[in-house]
Amino acid sequence: MDSVVVKQPRKKSKWAKMGKEKWLYLMVLPGLIYFIVFKYFPMWGVLIAFQDYSPFRGLLGSNWVGFEHFQYFFSNPDFLRLLRNTFILALYDLVFFFPAPIILALLLNEIRISFYKRAIQTFVYVPHFMSWVIIASISYVFLTTSGGVVNELLEGLLGEKINFLSSPDWFRPMIIGQIIWKETGWGTVIFLAALASVDQEQYEAAIVDGAGRFRRLWHVTLPALRSTIVILLILRLGNFLDTGFQQIYLMSNSLNRSVADVFDTYVYFVGITEGAFSYSTAVGLFKSVVGIVLIVGADRLAKKLGQGGLF
Amino acid sequence: MMKASKLRLLLLAIFAFGLLFITACSSDSEESSTNSNSNSDSSDEENEDRMAIDVFVPTFTTEPPTDSSPVWQALEDYTNTDLTIEWAPNSNLEDKFNITLSSGDLPHVMYVPGKSPSFISAVEDGAFWELGPYLDDYPNLSQANEIILNNSSINGKIFGIYRSRDLGRNGVIIRKDWLENLGLEEPKTIDDFYNMLKAFTEEDPDGNGQDDTYGLVVSKYEGPWDVMQTWFGVPNKWGIDDDGNLYPWFLDDNYKDALDFFKKLYDEGLVNEDFAVMDPAQWSDPVVAGEAGVQVNVLDEGHRIQEKIIDAEPENEDPITVIKAVEGPFGMKNLPTSGYSGMLSISTTAVKDEEELKKVLSFLDKMNDEEAQILAENGIEGRHFEIEDGEYVSLVKDDAGLLAEMDGLNQLLMYIPEPLSLTPDTSELRQLEEDLKLENEDIVVANPAEPYISDVYAKKGQQMDNIILDARIQYIVGQIDESGLEEAVELWRSSGGDDYIEEINQLHKEAQ
Repeated sequence: MDSVVVKQPRKKSKWAKMGKEKWLYLMVLPGLIYFIVFKYFPMWGVLIAFQDYSPFRGLLGSNWVGFEHFQYFFSNPDFLRLLRNTFILALYDLVFFFPAPIILALLLNEIRISFYKRAIQTFVYVPHFMSWVIIASISYVFLTTSGGVVNELLEGLLGEKINFLSSPDWFRPMIIGQIIWKETGWGTVIFLAALASVDQEQYEAAIVDGAGRFRRLWHVTLPALRSTIVILLILRLGNFLDTGFQQIYLMSNSLNRSVADVFDTYVYFVGITEGAFSYSTAVGLFKSVVGIVLIVGADRLAKKLGQGGLF
Repeated sequence: MMKASKLRLLLLAIFAFGLLFITACSSDSEESSTNSNSNSDSSDEENEDRMAIDVFVPTFTTEPPTDSSPVWQALEDYTNTDLTIEWAPNSNLEDKFNITLSSGDLPHVMYVPGKSPSFISAVEDGAFWELGPYLDDYPNLSQANEIILNNSSINGKIFGIYRSRDLGRNGVIIRKDWLENLGLEEPKTIDDFYNMLKAFTEEDPDGNGQDDTYGLVVSKYEGPWDVMQTWFGVPNKWGIDDDGNLYPWFLDDNYKDALDFFKKLYDEGLVNEDFAVMDPAQWSDPVVAGEAGVQVNVLDEGHRIQEKIIDAEPENEDPITVIKAVEGPFGMKNLPTSGYSGMLSISTTAVKDEEELKKVLSFLDKMNDEEAQILAENGIEGRHFEIEDGEYVSLVKDDAGLLAEMDGLNQLLMYIPEPLSLTPDTSELRQLEEDLKLENEDIVVANPAEPYISDVYAKKGQQMDNIILDARIQYIVGQIDESGLEEAVELWRSSGGDDYIEEINQLHKEAQ
């Protein structure tokens, strides 16, 4: 009895607290419902990775096959090729694209004329709003060997053409180049917001101490960005194996398919065009598991290194 | 300060997006509300015993007819049904089809683009009615072509009514004015064909004094290679050896000769250098623009190219000619088209019993009547076309609004036993195209394995095909040599090819 009596007021205060902030909780509700309906509920769908799923027998009527699809996938000669292609592209993306918005944001941050700066910011956002179909067409027009501007120029300068669009060697640089062109400007948004919150007094103090531009950049700006960079890096690792289906699909052809086949395009070909729903779900699930492992691993690592981390 | 401007920018972007979103949505809902209005108008009053039929068919336009269209309503009256049409854009038809299949919520009549693995597995699960036993009861459907029925069947059983098309649509489209400028004849043999391409590339066929032309234009779409290798005697998908066993086309002895010919074309610059990456949507542009002289395509592209050239240069009155094929070491051969373009299948989920099935079948049968064909293809007399001196004259050419009332309804037609819609007085070129299509039927090479459904192919077909087709392109551009080709065949065999050959031969023996 005693314990109940003791508990009662504590519980009450909790409810009272919630009651006091009921509007805040109400505001959370739509978001919560969104996640439950559109993100958690469909997760039951991954069950079909362990079934021989047929739409007409439905989720409940299909036969269970355990890990058969996974076994087939891992023993398939395609697996290693897909894994290699996906990993290399993802790595390139991390090494060459990830720092690009940071560098651009730092450059923009150094511009003193505010009108000029804002104009540039607006311009670099624009490519983000173009669809990959358009970018693929633009790339074709520029890079084709039959009258493309770039190859005309190369022929004039070097005397030879480079077949960017169909050469397997040029596929990855081309893909990364497109991503950098399209997404760098947009990627600066978060970094510029973080830079805006840096205390101006720190710069003034640094100037008084005799720090030049690069010193200020190194000792004031970058440390201020550090936690933002780490968080974005961790989030990026969660999507490590997402190589962007549309872009790869549009840029691949019979001559570069040896390097262009990645998990995303494979899932599309096998799942949507061949109707192997269970198998392609298994492949997708494998990708997600890798994503979770990477995101948790990176988070732990960041904490070990003294950064905030995510969770 | 900085923060505020940043925020303002973001807000602006969000606002702009929201605006776009809202306008997009509102125009959408407007459209759908007018649809539902007219729908209730027409169906409620007139007939209550009309059968409601949902149909899934492809559309090639962005604005397919709605049920407020008078043509649509006339079709409903004629067939005594209440039609709902679900239009799937042709560009992502396969996706839409598979997604509709996987949803399990199927319309009464479903357009099936081909015997894809997903369709076959749906058939195995009993998603579609087997129609074979019923066809004889209907005046039009009973006259369906046996060969095409067999081609469209699944191991001999009919699960959809084919939409009839010509068997011999493939051919070669040539710039006639270039031939005349160079004093050349239409090519008769493969050597002539090569010489023509060579002349088109090197001898300035357009007479502008510049080296700005080439022979043959090919795009990412690999059909032209398939057609041209048939000229060399390569079988259509499967060949039959002396012992009566089936073997895949790329193991044929003549394939190597065909490949070396293609490679020669590429090495000598007679074909466009970037063919492997060229967008198929731009395939005809170089012929129209006077950059390329030859295209291997369906014959009816000939008059479309001709019309575009005449639009651009009216003084060039007769710039295009077409031939069916050229003669190779085994005589004149051509690759057939399958004789049908998809089928209309009837789902077991929406059509529950035999009685309903018979109603849907009689709807499909009626769609083959002359009156229905003319409605769906030509529209309503006096509104969409006129008969002047016994000649058909279309009135929709320059009127997008009128065209939108009917454009695409012909996707519901099967043309069984034959097309009965009206055609305009044909130009010389169109007549030639039609004649060649008929002549083609004598020289097309049949695929002996057409009706057989392979489990291996269903599961891995796409990847297996890619191995061989990619190797062909890689060989043509010199990325791999003969040993690379052999490796590709080995990879094909080990990726399921050997099982596939065995399975097809098994099915072939059973069918004999």
